[in-house]
Amino acid sequence: MFKEYNPINNKEFQILDHKGKVVAKEMMPPIKDDELLKAYKEMLFARTADLQIVSYQRQGRIYTYPPNYGQEAISGAVGALIKDSDWLVPAFREMGAMLAKGVTLKELFLYFMGYEDGSKFSKAKKTLPISVPIASQLLHAAGLGYAIKYNKEKDLVYAFVGDGGTSEGDFHEAVNFAGVWKVPVIFIIQNNQYGISTPTRMQTASDNLAVKAIAYGVKGIKVDGNDYFAMYKAIQESIKVCEAGEGPVLIEAVTYRKGAHTTSDDPTKYRTKEEEEQWDLKDPLKRLKSYLIAKKIWSDKEEEKVIEQYKVEVDRQFLEAENYGPYPKEDIFKYMYAEMPDDLKDQEREYERFMEWKAARAK
Amino acid sequence: MRYIFKFPDIGEGLEEGTIVEWHVEKGQNVKMGDSLVTMETDKVVTAIPSPKDGIIAAKFGKVGETIHVGSALVEIDIAGIEGEAAITEASKSEAVEEEGAGVVGTLEVAGNSAVLSASKEGVESSSILTEKPAKVLATPVARALAKESGVDINVVKGSGPAGRVTKEDIIRFISTSSQMGSSPAQTDSKGKSHQQNIEIEPLSQIRKTIAKNMIQSKHNAAHMTVFEEVEISELERVRKKYKDKFSQEGIKLTYLAFIIKATASSLKKFRALNTEMDMERGNMIYKKYYNIGIAIDTPKGLVVPVIRDADKLSVKDIATEIQTLSDKARDGKLTLDDMKDGTFTITSYGSIGGLFAVPVINYPQAGILGIGRIDKKPVVKGDQVVPGMVLPLSLSVDHRIADGGETARFINSIMYYLEDPVSLIME
Repeated sequence: MFKEYNPINNKEFQILDHKGKVVAKEMMPPIKDDELLKAYKEMLFARTADLQIVSYQRQGRIYTYPPNYGQEAISGAVGALIKDSDWLVPAFREMGAMLAKGVTLKELFLYFMGYEDGSKFSKAKKTLPISVPIASQLLHAAGLGYAIKYNKEKDLVYAFVGDGGTSEGDFHEAVNFAGVWKVPVIFIIQNNQYGISTPTRMQTASDNLAVKAIAYGVKGIKVDGNDYFAMYKAIQESIKVCEAGEGPVLIEAVTYRKGAHTTSDDPTKYRTKEEEEQWDLKDPLKRLKSYLIAKKIWSDKEEEKVIEQYKVEVDRQFLEAENYGPYPKEDIFKYMYAEMPDDLKDQEREYERFMEWKAARAK
Repeated sequence: MRYIFKFPDIGEGLEEGTIVEWHVEKGQNVKMGDSLVTMETDKVVTAIPSPKDGIIAAKFGKVGETIHVGSALVEIDIAGIEGEAAITEASKSEAVEEEGAGVVGTLEVAGNSAVLSASKEGVESSSILTEKPAKVLATPVARALAKESGVDINVVKGSGPAGRVTKEDIIRFISTSSQMGSSPAQTDSKGKSHQQNIEIEPLSQIRKTIAKNMIQSKHNAAHMTVFEEVEISELERVRKKYKDKFSQEGIKLTYLAFIIKATASSLKKFRALNTEMDMERGNMIYKKYYNIGIAIDTPKGLVVPVIRDADKLSVKDIATEIQTLSDKARDGKLTLDDMKDGTFTITSYGSIGGLFAVPVINYPQAGILGIGRIDKKPVVKGDQVVPGMVLPLSLSVDHRIADGGETARFINSIMYYLEDPVSLIME
């Protein structure tokens, strides 16, 4: 498959077309109906939560949030295939994959409310926290991969980055290192067409992002990231490559960020309505839904029903997070260094004085 | 039980927003997540959803008004929530108040005088808090404004918490120092200062954009303007003839439609006027499409929507398009797509007033045509003085791009078409 879809030819791997029709039957991964339905529902849950979070932010109840809207199939496919013993190394737009690993919505809410505990996952094993510094997480992923190989373990690392992240030095260092040491890492570029407002054509002079794999001497493939089946199959094949000791793999998942970069961004300033409408036709959930309905295992009615249930559940976990209690001062200062350096001690004192002043003022 | 919902900082460090549209009425039932109001901010235009279920008890602010972050937006009656829950709500609304409803973090919001009033405590405590800071405390907005206005921020007295200098302090400083620096004309006969008799309003987003564009144009383009008068009796006859017929179809046939057509046809002949100069790369960019912007006066300020491919449209199509765009402009419904990619602009101030004006080029375009007031005037035809309809034209061009000869030939062409409107369909 990696030969057929050599990224130098700029061919995009697709199984389910934009209308929800199977166009590459021979590539179709064998997924049982109940598994497929489960995956679809998980993506639907992630989308419901995502839309609600933007609303909470507009209500002033959480801080800045980067929406996942439109990119659910990528996280969905990873979520279906990742094992408990595999590492998940997210950027910040992989809600579905994090939920699949066992991270709770409440924990994600705490993160976006500024709690340190939002990165302390009670159930999810081998999951790194959200990483906002672009592409820095890829180095951690390469290191984790190296450790797995060094310890002669069988596990894998799934690492995420955006299209903008591929222009970072960290991206180069991580993929290069992973290639040299043949470590079991699946690097997934979520190419959602914009790095904040920078379109992909301004991001690289290459024909696509997967082609960068060639220079690192690793396998790469450009996949329709809004096609759940194509993503599933591409990851399955990547797992085989890594298990054979031939990793890493670089997957470019072509998708579209239907929402804003973050809640502080206004995409109407840099993209057209026509473009948004064009991509709306390729929406990952709409496509899979058409397929499921055609297969008579899903209906609009069922969808409406579960969305209502999901909304209630999202609100429930949000209220739990909202009532989490005050933010301990230690969370800000104590945990980075074994022994606090002087400048941090100064900052802590300054903060204490500020809180005293604030308390006095409130009287 | 009443809950006061304060305008939250929805965009990492916002100071304020302008009300674009209310989506609720007083007395209306709302559910959490329902849209209350659309707000325009420096970052985004967005609907603000309700954080509570309840009944709208009060709305604070009319459309067009500026609301500071942390100021009350609506009051929601959440009577349904009683007992313990209500207490939680009460303590929560208290907490919200304390934090200034900010989503950037307490410290940041504390620096915003819009949230915390310029209280004495704040200034007094500055002696405790600040140990001779190397850099004066100020909000980022205040720093930027000071830099822009050439004010030394270190000499401005801060009214925010811990003596922090706010945007309002800078505005006050500028207005005070300009009054101090000027003549006694600023004080009335009794020698009392007019200082109190002014109103300071923050700039709206549209005003900021207009200011930026105007300065950019005046700064970069070498403006040169030519004036002409054209006799349009024939055009008037043609317009009269079709006006009623068009109006039956709901189309208003204006002179502007003909002028746009004449301009687009002339731009095709004189390509220098349909260009952009790229000094950085050392290129002239000749555009092979003719999108004519029309300057429209709205209560909020000037907007310039664009009529696309005007050269390919009939006068009737153009008239229809003018109407659509004017309606959208009046209702504030123009989108970015409606206003981008213009290649030349027409401003027709004459319909309001003014014979000749010197229009400012809509940079980086190469020219702008100004349309003055049409008057019935004596004109000489052959050896006879006869009454004529005279249309004054002002054409400003970027003299870096268009030479005098080309400019004159271009305006001649427009006049030719307007004097003899049939020629518009002959070519």
